[in-house]
Amino acid sequence: MIDLKNVKKIYHTGGEELIALNDVSLQIKKGEFTSIMGPSGSGKSTMMNILGLLDRFDEGSYILNGQNVSSLTDNESAHVRNKEIGFVFQSFNLMPRMSILENVELPMVYAKVSAKERHERAMIALEKVGLANRVKHKPNEISGGQKQRVAIARAIVNQPAVLMADEPTGNLDSKTTLEIMKIFQDLNADGTTVVMVTHEPDVAQYTKRIVSFKDGRLMDDQLVENPIIL
Amino acid sequence: MKANFKMALDSIFANKMRSFLTMLGIIIGITAVIAILAVGNGATSQITGTFNDLGASTISLSVSDKAIKADYITKADLQTMKDSIQKLDYISPDARLAGTITSDFSDKSVIAYGGTTDLQFTNQTMKNNLVYGRYFNQNEYDDAKNVAVISEDGATVLFNGRKDVVGEKINISYRGTALSLKIIGVTASSQESTVGFFDAENMPVFIATPLTTLETLNPELGNLDSVTVKVSSKDDIDSVSKQMVRLLETRHEKVGDDLYSATNFLQSLDQIDSVLGLFINFIAAVAAIALVVGGIGVMNIMLVSVTERTREIGTRKALGATTNTILFQFLMESVILSLIGGIIGLVLGILLANGVASALDIVPSITPGAVILVLLFSSAVGIFFGIYPARKAAKLDPIEALRYE
Ligand SMILES: Nc1ncnc2c1ncn2[C@@H]1O[C@H](COP(=O)(O)OP(=O)(O)OP(=O)(O)O)[C@@H](O)[C@H]1O
Ligand SMILES: [Mg+2]
Repeated sequence: MIDLKNVKKIYHTGGEELIALNDVSLQIKKGEFTSIMGPSGSGKSTMMNILGLLDRFDEGSYILNGQNVSSLTDNESAHVRNKEIGFVFQSFNLMPRMSILENVELPMVYAKVSAKERHERAMIALEKVGLANRVKHKPNEISGGQKQRVAIARAIVNQPAVLMADEPTGNLDSKTTLEIMKIFQDLNADGTTVVMVTHEPDVAQYTKRIVSFKDGRLMDDQLVENPIIL
Repeated sequence: MKANFKMALDSIFANKMRSFLTMLGIIIGITAVIAILAVGNGATSQITGTFNDLGASTISLSVSDKAIKADYITKADLQTMKDSIQKLDYISPDARLAGTITSDFSDKSVIAYGGTTDLQFTNQTMKNNLVYGRYFNQNEYDDAKNVAVISEDGATVLFNGRKDVVGEKINISYRGTALSLKIIGVTASSQESTVGFFDAENMPVFIATPLTTLETLNPELGNLDSVTVKVSSKDDIDSVSKQMVRLLETRHEKVGDDLYSATNFLQSLDQIDSVLGLFINFIAAVAAIALVVGGIGVMNIMLVSVTERTREIGTRKALGATTNTILFQFLMESVILSLIGGIIGLVLGILLANGVASALDIVPSITPGAVILVLLFSSAVGIFFGIYPARKAAKLDPIEALRYE
């Protein structure tokens, strides 16, 4: 599913070079539920941005779902993001003026899905996250946990190959965090591949595999012995 | 497309006041353009219409050196011109005098026109649309008979409301000389050409007499300095004008002296048209400036909007929006913004045009072409001033946009 080989990412800031990722190789198979951990500044977000085709890298190669995506044009990346990748952000990033339903429909607008099918598929996705009854509301009329559920519905609505979440529970309390982790687990149980950044070890215990970064290097990669199933 | 359209409207209506203020420049510009076009076109067609009524096929031949009263144009010239110039239909002097007219019942001021028998075709006020009697004939002209044709209104005023006054006597006095005339005809009053110059109370009586008759009151009238000519068609104006001038120059041995000039209403119309056109251009330039200012307003607010929505743009890109999608979305927004401004301006402009037009007593003319032009133009303003902010939005780097606080 994901095959990253010897990836290096360098930031150039004011003459100085900062190696954000150094010789990182990572394979993730279909159906895995992986968390990426590490201290602040270790390169977790950089890793996610590269996996999500939001950012380019300087060395190495990346094969996603059988397709070499190492050097795509902006437009090609946009299409791959739209079809193969579902994003969940720490701060939800919903469109404030659009209803919940419209928010979930948005990736399908970009995929040029017909209005009727958009509506049907959005409703199915919202049902999966337990929000099918609030579709006409605006994002500012629902709670943080509900917002993140809308964001997850939006991320899965185009049936992507992989769901990518950068600290999805970072803005949520512990009870809501569990609700969100349960949704991820359910989606994963249905076959969705999930990659998630977190710096909370507790939260990582709900995933199946933990990859640890330090100073831009992949230091540790192990399976969670007894993942807690919610 | 439909979803894009809705998004654009949503974001415009999310900031109603801001959007409205942004549109204001365009609204003012378009209102001005529409009002000016409507009133200007209305006025032009009104003036054109009036002038066509007045006789597009009329030439006025005059002597430029009017100070010297001399026989630069003689009565014999008139006959020669009429006989030798083919396309010349009618020719009559334009002599007139203002005096007093008395009947057995009352007295009034009078404007008396003196001409040949062609006066009935060349004079707008005393046209030959007779209600009673007849116009004077060649014999009466040749013999300077004391006959007159009077306007219907004049008859009414002078004869206690009677209109059929054929056979009645009237007296004209001018600078102490008096002349008694027999009325032989009554013409329908031609309102259009005189109304507006006089109010009902001071409206003089109009009469027409043979020039030869009128000369007994003022012999100077025999020195013709202005003659009105009718040709059969507008196309003959130029050639007839030239022939007349040439003929007079030869007969009076004034070749090359530039003494005679022949002008046509159409030429004056062209002048009025060009003055009006200049005025319209000037106001249009002012309106164009308003539109540019409005367009800059649109650009400004779109730039603000792009900055405010940086994160939103980043998110959209993460969800799969391409550069062109974002470009199109923001362009659509600026175009709709300008277009709404344009439509509001259109409505206000039509209202304003109607107001101004009714005050000026003209009919405003708003053509479908003008409406389409306005809509296209405001869209163009939206595209022109929206392209830079839209490109800025489209070219944002997704990660930086997502990280934007
Ligand atoms: N756009 C950038 N320009 C320059 N340096 C950057 C940029 N983005 C990230 N970095 C640097 O790259 C390194 C890795 O950053 P990254 O955001 O991936 O860390 P992280 O593991 O996600 O940290 P956190 O847990 O705080 O989110 C950091 O040292 C950071 O300062
Ligand atoms: Mg991070």
